[in-house]
Amino acid sequence: MPIVTIDGRQIEVEPGTSVIQAADQLGVEIPRFCYHPDLEPEGNCRMCLVEVDGFPKPVVACATPVVDGMVVKTPHTSPVASRAVRGVLEFLLVNHPIDCPICDKAGECSLQDFYMHPDYGQHRSHVDSKEKVHKAKRVDLGPRIVLDAERCVMCSRCVRFSENVTGYAELQFIRRGNHVELVSFEEQALQDPYAGNFADICPVGALLSRDFRFKRRVWKLDYTSSICAGCSTGCNLRIDHYDGHIERLIPRRNPDVNRSWLCDEGRLSYKQLAMAPRVTHPEQDGEKALWVKVTAAADERLRAATLGKGLPLAALASASATNETLWLFRRYVEAAFPRHLLEFRLAQETEAVRERQDKLLRRIDKHPNTMGALHLGYTAGMGLEGLAREAEAGRLGALLMLYYPPLVGEESEETKDRIRRLLELAQESVLLTTHHLPYLAGAKILLPVAAWSEEEGTYTNYRGTVQHANGAVGSPSAARPAAEVLGDLMRQATYGRPETEPGRVFAEIAEKVPAFRGLRYKELASRLATAYPPEGRMPYGKDGFTGH
Amino acid sequence: MADFLTRHTKDPAQKKLDTARGRGAYEGFRRALAMSRQEVVAEIDASGLRGRGGAGFPTGRKWSFIHAKEGQSVYLLCNADESEPGTFKDHHLMTFDPHLVLEGVAVGAYAIGAHRAYIYLRGEYASIAETLAAALREATAAGIIGQSCLGSGYDLSVGLQLGAGAYICGEETGLIQSLEGKRAYPRVRPPFPAVHGFLREPTVVNNVETLACAARIMAEGAEAFARLGTRQSAGTKLISVSGAVERPGVYEVEMGYPLMQFLSHEAGGISGGRRLKAIIPGGTSVPVLTAEEAAPLTIDYESMLSAGTMLGSGGMIVFGDGTSMPHALLRIAEFYAHESCGECTPCREGTGWMAWVLRRLLAGEGSPGDLGLLLRVGDNIEGRTICGLGDASVQPVRSFIRKFRQEFEALAPLPVAFPAWQLHGHGPRTGRFGPPVEEAAQSQPVEGPPDYVL
Repeated sequence: MPIVTIDGRQIEVEPGTSVIQAADQLGVEIPRFCYHPDLEPEGNCRMCLVEVDGFPKPVVACATPVVDGMVVKTPHTSPVASRAVRGVLEFLLVNHPIDCPICDKAGECSLQDFYMHPDYGQHRSHVDSKEKVHKAKRVDLGPRIVLDAERCVMCSRCVRFSENVTGYAELQFIRRGNHVELVSFEEQALQDPYAGNFADICPVGALLSRDFRFKRRVWKLDYTSSICAGCSTGCNLRIDHYDGHIERLIPRRNPDVNRSWLCDEGRLSYKQLAMAPRVTHPEQDGEKALWVKVTAAADERLRAATLGKGLPLAALASASATNETLWLFRRYVEAAFPRHLLEFRLAQETEAVRERQDKLLRRIDKHPNTMGALHLGYTAGMGLEGLAREAEAGRLGALLMLYYPPLVGEESEETKDRIRRLLELAQESVLLTTHHLPYLAGAKILLPVAAWSEEEGTYTNYRGTVQHANGAVGSPSAARPAAEVLGDLMRQATYGRPETEPGRVFAEIAEKVPAFRGLRYKELASRLATAYPPEGRMPYGKDGFTGH
Repeated sequence: MADFLTRHTKDPAQKKLDTARGRGAYEGFRRALAMSRQEVVAEIDASGLRGRGGAGFPTGRKWSFIHAKEGQSVYLLCNADESEPGTFKDHHLMTFDPHLVLEGVAVGAYAIGAHRAYIYLRGEYASIAETLAAALREATAAGIIGQSCLGSGYDLSVGLQLGAGAYICGEETGLIQSLEGKRAYPRVRPPFPAVHGFLREPTVVNNVETLACAARIMAEGAEAFARLGTRQSAGTKLISVSGAVERPGVYEVEMGYPLMQFLSHEAGGISGGRRLKAIIPGGTSVPVLTAEEAAPLTIDYESMLSAGTMLGSGGMIVFGDGTSMPHALLRIAEFYAHESCGECTPCREGTGWMAWVLRRLLAGEGSPGDLGLLLRVGDNIEGRTICGLGDASVQPVRSFIRKFRQEFEALAPLPVAFPAWQLHGHGPRTGRFGPPVEEAAQSQPVEGPPDYVL
């Protein structure tokens, strides 16, 4: 395999690797606008010019494949490359409005980062604004994206994404020379269900997320890595939050799962958390209750209604729960209720878990952890309908239910009806949930639990990849992670003193469940998935002079 | 005057297939068909034919780069997007001898093993499209082009595509993109068109005049062509001369023909009894020559190169005394700013910037150092763009300013030369963004930028 030297450091890379990829592997920064690891290189921004020994003039690192023995010098070490890159950056500023103070991209803008960098920047523009070419300042590109054509550097990342990744091909350049301008097809709103990615891949403030626009300065945000809970694909994402509120979700790069993309539904799934009022306190028969009393009461009443009467417990878990929660749920049910009907499906989760909704990322099954439930020993039981029939026939003692409303789309009317009927028919019911929803009103005891983004844990995606999600924000009032609540329930009747801390629960799972064997929680939590561009790449990042 | 290519172009009847065949049209193609592909390539190679589009790359070598793998189609594209300012030689050939051009296309296609060829015709040449289409119809009807050309068993179909009027479509990868129905954004090389060209298949793009030469070479033999011209620049060249001459037009001359003799004889001398001031010898993309520089030159690749310019496309523009060189340069710079495709940064922004500065200078609003700025912008464009348009836009600016310095300085108030460090931003550093001042002082001095003290 070819060995290439970049800035005096050697690396052996796969044949066909481009210079910029080799540099990325080495950790040598080469500035770039048009290059993106998940798009075809185009070489139009000329920002990645490097000096290669034996070449008469600087070459673009993104479109130059390495050959064995190649010696590359980046702007960090080569005056030739540095001068070339400075020239290119100066050109980019000729017609750029330089309106960083009112630009949403400020703080995570490549153009801004580069011109502040000692090896690339000129720190100035030679042209004053009255001489610049002016273009459309606010172009409505539909519900997701707003375009500021003046800030565009014509890198064509969006055009290539639209053409080659989603295939919608809705963006193109028009005109020539420095009048080139990005437009959507017939200037209509974008139809692309992945349009949100345009704002991520745009290296400057041209394509902006309508959702995030003017919400928060990016350097104010805290970043937490997580997994999307919108469907069974399990895209890696980053929760950007401020003061306990989620401000946006952006994809983290994971070449094996979602590359650098995220669908719009997943991107906006956090909004679903605020669509209904949250359950903030435990409730017992319609009255607010204290946790210490309510867990004891829940356990006691469930046992009285089942063991006392010789009837089974219907235990309905959720494919939206973390592996840790599902594990404790099953352990509790199996330890405390010798006769039980264990179920986790509301509809066709097991059939749909691998089914694609489109060619790119989305899947039919809108639960993030169906595969995890299957691996943890949950099997397709009699289903919601079957449980309701049993209840109707008086063959059910009580119902223990864990329910998370979907983050993408809504529960079907049919499913809602079935849940409503089941809760009404059950003599005794304990419901662990996050939101007050009309069809959940029948529960006798209501235990508030943490929703997605509020708790830590692992999810297993459609093809069995176990991925770790962090808790980003706090739960409202008295809501607690479901794992803790289940641990309390077990402890109440001394069914054991289970670990409830996710890492330790996971260790237990890894020991006992074949599908998890060999996995280590800490490794999952530090898994490679990184945002693109990688965090910490910026010379003056979050903790630099722009800090809090 | 030579007449290797233009022997019959004076006769309007030459457009007709019968007349043209009576004068030997398609005999070269017939001879090629009787040879193997490799033999045709070798024949062209032996003739010493070099690309007439501007770069002067040996045509035989270019053809020999095609190595089609199993299942690959090969394409020959005829570049008839003659858009270099001052160039109208192909216009002449296509208008008056369309069958010669078609024959060239057929010979080229056969030599590289292509069964499809396209003529990409400049949008502004819509009037020629009908001439070419008629010639194509005639040749197809006569069984010269189509299935089993001239009964040889070799199939060739030729398509005619009209551009929409963009300079960049004359750049070979831009032409390919345009022909594919895309925006004519040039492609990054490598891969070269010989590997990944039209529809990602091996492709050769040749200029009209080059292919016409190939047709004549096949008819008359490599020897006849190599005998003409100089040792390294074989054959003849079509020169389209315009500007301050008495008889502007297209002339065919043998390579090595003295430039001054061409101006005084063929072109009829400088118009209006003026004196020669400057010549752009090969389209606006090549450096300008002053009258003194031009005096000893001959019309061939090497002689032009020795004077720091290029024969280019043969689009000669002549300036008489009294012409304002800054105004001429502005006109040229505006052309490049207008025609820059906008794909890559240096050309997109740089060409517009140069035109803007020139406009400012000519409006009397220039600032000291504007000339240095122009040269520096040029340096930042040159060699850093995807295609040659960027380099092309710099040549006139640099050569005009260097060679007609007084005229430009008269426009710039207080023509103070820029200190080099101010131009490039890496001189004495404050230490805020660069290395600390002490460190900078100890380290090796940065390789100095070119000095623009004019």
